[in-house]
Amino acid sequence: MAREEFRVALADLRRAVVEMGELVLDRLELALSALTEGDDDRAEAVIEGDEEINRCYLDIEADCIDLFALEQPVAGDLRFVAASFKITTDLERVGDLATNLARYALSSRPGTFPELDVSGIGRAAIEMLEDALAAYEGEDAAACRAVAERDDDVDALCQRASERLVRDLLERDPDPDAWELEGLLDDVASVLLTIRDLERVGDHAVNVAARTLYVLEGDPELIY
Amino acid sequence: MTETKMAADSRTGRETTVETTKGESTEHTREEWTDYEFGDEAVLSVDDLNVYYGEERAIKDVSMDIPEESVTALIGPSGCGKSTFLRSLNRMNDRIKSARVEGSVEFDGQDIYQEGVDLVELRKRIGMVFQSPNPFPKSIRENVAYGPRKHGDISRGLAARLLGRDEKDAEDELVERTLRQAALWEEVEDRLADNALGLSGGQQQRLCIARCLAVDPEVILMDEPASALDPIATAKIEDLIEELAEEYTVVVVTHNMQQAARISDQTAVFLTGGELVEYDDTEKIFENPESQRVEDYVTGKFG
Repeated sequence: MAREEFRVALADLRRAVVEMGELVLDRLELALSALTEGDDDRAEAVIEGDEEINRCYLDIEADCIDLFALEQPVAGDLRFVAASFKITTDLERVGDLATNLARYALSSRPGTFPELDVSGIGRAAIEMLEDALAAYEGEDAAACRAVAERDDDVDALCQRASERLVRDLLERDPDPDAWELEGLLDDVASVLLTIRDLERVGDHAVNVAARTLYVLEGDPELIY
Repeated sequence: MTETKMAADSRTGRETTVETTKGESTEHTREEWTDYEFGDEAVLSVDDLNVYYGEERAIKDVSMDIPEESVTALIGPSGCGKSTFLRSLNRMNDRIKSARVEGSVEFDGQDIYQEGVDLVELRKRIGMVFQSPNPFPKSIRENVAYGPRKHGDISRGLAARLLGRDEKDAEDELVERTLRQAALWEEVEDRLADNALGLSGGQQQRLCIARCLAVDPEVILMDEPASALDPIATAKIEDLIEELAEEYTVVVVTHNMQQAARISDQTAVFLTGGELVEYDDTEKIFENPESQRVEDYVTGKFG
């Protein structure tokens, strides 16, 4: 096998992307638990930790640019470096979404809408991202397609939760004094944004899977 | 450990076999990988070409069409037959006694290997530029004018149109025009009478390209035209090749894969044994080749 050092650099890149993904997943889980349990300390930790994720992102970006400039990858290698470059952008965005969730945790009260399974939606979105990263790490094309297929389920969960929230509000006591209006408005805004952001986590997971599938099969079918 | 995968090819009904033994692939070429479809006319149409040196087969059953006014790159490891293939396109292999050619190369509707083909005329219409610049030890002007003077009696082409007028300034015009086409004019215009051997390597190579252009060819074959040049001279040759493709058909053999990627419209990959393994748009070959052996070659996993 020729170009040993290049092969090592590609393996290093894969490891760095996976490690960044694990870091992002940790933060996402921490943010979700901060949100559902009303834990401000955890929320603060997520917000402070975003810089670490951004640093990872910039380091990997620099590594990819070095590989393009110095090794001029082609074919499967080119697809792998280009996809890794794109995937880290998705992971960085998920890191931003985790800090969003942490901010909602600080500005809202947990348990205002116990009938909404925010935790379950979060779980489903996190699992999609976990599976997409595992597909990238393990070069598994079938797993990429499976991740993409699950996106509709997460979208449906989010849609149902939003509708449920609206129904819940309509069915509430018509006397505004009974609502603690100001606090309720914050809670409504937070939970709607939470649902939207979790749906976006799922979309980024699909992007990771789509780029991975492109690496493996040269097939852009999932990229939109 | 040997792993064998079988897959039926729905278009040709042929089966392809990939055997992997200790990482060495012995995948068989599939017809559709070499059946490159382009919109334009084929200038050269190669059919089932085999070239032998004595008993050894250097080119194996190669069929490919070359589209006009474009750059076709031929790449592959040393000894894969790409230069032999290039030389078979204007019968330069005729000069090698042990070489034997089977199959056909159609140019302008005629098989160049049929009897009675005028080789001087053929090589004027399908010119060649070699790896190391080989200008004549004459003046720059004479290098360019040599071909047209020699072919002065040929009744068609640029040389005839210009030189047929039998005027001294017609030759001046031809020399200037071809040196401009070869992106050399501005560097040599005030020393046309100097010996060509005093030029730098890159300039000599552009002079050789000018010499080739002076007889008004349709196809220009280039065998590693920049491999002996520094990066600046190489860049000039590469720019020139891209410009030439607006008027001429260029077929270029190169060892430098990045060069093939930069300058060519389509790329043909030859692998050991003189086999054409894949022929497609250059983007396709370097981004997403079909053949695992091509993938391994272009990514440097072997070769």
